[in-house]
Amino acid sequence: MDIDVHDPRAYALDTLLPEHVHTPATVHQLADLIRAHKERRDTIVFFGNGSLQGIGNLPTRYNTAISLHHLHALIAHEPADLTIAVQAGMTIADFDQRLARQRQFVPLDAPYPQYSTIGGVLASGWLSPRRAAYGRSREFLIGVSAVLNDGTVASAGGMVVKSSTGYDLGKLYVGSLGTLGAIVRANFKTLPRPQVARLFVAPLPEGSAARVVPVLADLPIEPTLCLRISGFENDIDVRPGLEGRIAVMLEGTKSTVERATRDLRSALGLAGVPDTSIFEGADLSRAFAQILTAYVAPVGNRSLTVRSLGLPTTVFQRAALLRETAKQYHFIPEEIIDMRTGDAIVRLVAADPPSLAQEAANALATMRSVIREAPPTVIAGGAGIRHSLDAWGDPPNALDKMRAIKSQFDPTGIFAPGRFVGGL
Amino acid sequence: MNGGSDSRNLLATRLLNALGPHAVKVSREDRAAYSYDASNDEALPAAVVIPADTRETCIAVRIANACGEPIIARGAGTGLCGGAVPIRGGLVISFSRMNRLLSLDVANRRARVQPGLVNLALSQATLPDGLFFGPDPSSQKISTLGGNTSTNAGGPHALSYGSMNAHVLGLEFVDEDGEVRQASLDDPGYDLVGIQVGAEGTLGILTAIELRLLRVPPAVRVAIAAFPDVESASAAVSEIIASGIIPTALEIMDRVITQAVEAHYHTGFPTDAGAVLLIEIAGLPDDVAAFESTIGLLIHRYGALSWRVASDASERAALWASRKNAAAAVGRLAPNYYIQDATVPRTKLPQAMRTVGEIARTYRLPVGNVFHAGDGNLHPLLLFDRRLQRQVDAVHAAGTEILQACIELGGTISGEHGIGFEKRESLTYVFSPEDLAAMGRLREALDPARMFNPDKIFPSGASCGEVRPNLGFTAKPEAGNTWI
Repeated sequence: MDIDVHDPRAYALDTLLPEHVHTPATVHQLADLIRAHKERRDTIVFFGNGSLQGIGNLPTRYNTAISLHHLHALIAHEPADLTIAVQAGMTIADFDQRLARQRQFVPLDAPYPQYSTIGGVLASGWLSPRRAAYGRSREFLIGVSAVLNDGTVASAGGMVVKSSTGYDLGKLYVGSLGTLGAIVRANFKTLPRPQVARLFVAPLPEGSAARVVPVLADLPIEPTLCLRISGFENDIDVRPGLEGRIAVMLEGTKSTVERATRDLRSALGLAGVPDTSIFEGADLSRAFAQILTAYVAPVGNRSLTVRSLGLPTTVFQRAALLRETAKQYHFIPEEIIDMRTGDAIVRLVAADPPSLAQEAANALATMRSVIREAPPTVIAGGAGIRHSLDAWGDPPNALDKMRAIKSQFDPTGIFAPGRFVGGL
Repeated sequence: MNGGSDSRNLLATRLLNALGPHAVKVSREDRAAYSYDASNDEALPAAVVIPADTRETCIAVRIANACGEPIIARGAGTGLCGGAVPIRGGLVISFSRMNRLLSLDVANRRARVQPGLVNLALSQATLPDGLFFGPDPSSQKISTLGGNTSTNAGGPHALSYGSMNAHVLGLEFVDEDGEVRQASLDDPGYDLVGIQVGAEGTLGILTAIELRLLRVPPAVRVAIAAFPDVESASAAVSEIIASGIIPTALEIMDRVITQAVEAHYHTGFPTDAGAVLLIEIAGLPDDVAAFESTIGLLIHRYGALSWRVASDASERAALWASRKNAAAAVGRLAPNYYIQDATVPRTKLPQAMRTVGEIARTYRLPVGNVFHAGDGNLHPLLLFDRRLQRQVDAVHAAGTEILQACIELGGTISGEHGIGFEKRESLTYVFSPEDLAAMGRLREALDPARMFNPDKIFPSGASCGEVRPNLGFTAKPEAGNTWI
């Protein structure tokens, strides 16, 4: 995934290419660019490095890609205050390393950490699989600055860990897919790293899955990550068993994690799971990044990845419905079931690109009709057919309120028009 | 908006016709009970509706909208910034009847509540299932979850559990047209949940809230450490955090406060120390024991004079009760006190506390400090007598200087109480005109007529009409009804 930052092909959204690419070196330059686009009514899609651009619909018009990768500076890191402020173009890997040097972290947990940027992770609303334990990225974001459609730079929040001062516009920008403005600065509260973090990945032999799941609910500490993964054989190094793999992360004090490790290994052994790979330190980072990247990794141009957000108690049922629907339409399903957050992720893999084009929209429509309480949205893939898919499904109850927000922040519709739910 | 006495009479008449006298209060005596909150601002509403459900709330909103009258949502009225005061009259909607726990989902650790449910009642209802609600403002025995949501309330345990914005998973709200809207963090689209939390009722009227619940930790310790002064206690707090331990609460009370509290509650706080640090740690038994010994060593390095761990649950509860009622205890020290709420970066706490002391000395005002030290959230209480205009002026000036000093240290003007009416002019100290204009865009989108709680949060040159601010800031004349 090497990127030539000036090549329009690096900013392709499915089959759409931008007419122009800009890589502003300063926030001031970015503001000038946005102002000029507003006057011309040219549309802009903001880019970090593009790793999460598979989320959402294609824009209805795509004049310009603006990459924020030059805006990658560390603005302030106050380890004793547990706060950090960075520009939006900083990569997640850079961000994580800077924090790690102070034994701190912010659990953003993005795919492609070498490429994905702070701004991209926030704007895409990326959801960490550790959020049940630590919280969502929006809760760590204590201050934000964005360039708005008139070129003004507006901030909200601050560099304090607790505030009730004015509207929390950071919440509005997170997950807005760049349709309201360009996030240029993000202030986070940080956490001290736990003494020990361990990632366990184990293949599940035939018949073992039903015995393993209850074990995971009964450990001395709740896992911060608890996934059952089926498929994704080329994405994750640890080989799967006939019933896939589990990935479990335990974090905490040394003594507690040691005890939980003993309990987990012994319980897995009794459940018929003979081999468990255990990762720590840099190995954990690599293995965890592989798992995270599997969430959005495409299989050539013949896959589509969907995600259903719902209650943990219904995740197995929803995943089964997604899986069966995928099979009904002749896709090979691969799935990630998140037992802590309730996320069900299914990658539908077609035999070839034409068969993806023929059946993906129908499969998606059926999935949405059978999981009405948590209809899936598209988070990756679908190359070549995204123009014929609606990534979001039925709009939410308050779509008109969202339209009102969009028209206030982007009255001329220059920011990624049509990208978001309901054509926002 | 505010069409004068005709529209106010029309409002009352139409509300009575639609909802009946059991839900609508229009007599002057009844309305007076809704003319104030725990600040000292006062203004009479034109009418009060106490809806039984969301449907009645919608009807009330539609009628107020048609009459051009503003709408002010009210929980228990414990706010300290005038957020629930109907500054220019209009309709107050009180949620005292919408106080039910609508559903409890133990397996998924969620509860759906009506906005009038009292904060503590939620934890009391969920404790038998091993769950509790994290944010615990000191007013939690009386303040409501709707009010907590609207102010992004925190409390002592926000240090580890976060403020309300980390706990609200979904909302039902009534919009300007009286229509019911649903919003969930799991829905695609803009985060209408996040923007309502802390919006102080300016973007709609909350009628149901979906909340995250936490598992009760298996072990809890509460300890108090005595320090020679507030600065050394504050420095110890920074060191504890820097060591990688996040206790569930880190609270400081200075000598003024501990003496008042001790005289009132006799909990055993050391009254000769310059400051007392209250520490709570929770988690697995082994971890809690290890953290306790680490913290014990750290605080002595920072000059702790003594260290006592509560021996059982009842002693822990007594220490917490004293802390949470500290402001009430201060009522015995002076006829009035003025509570400030500001946040600074945690490492700036010692400097902030010195500055607060200097400002108080400059204005010759006694000051007590009780605050959420782990979050850098200050609550200085300036003591005075409101009958002396000289002291009133001094308190006003000192309060403003404290806010400005906190901003200069990189802080902000509210950690958990909100801006309300009283601090709205100070918002310009924190945010530029461009920042405020961006917030104004959001307001324009969701409340273009400015009918939801006007005159709050944002500075305005508009006339305050009938408002009768006693002081223009919080000045409680009596003990027993203020919590910080």
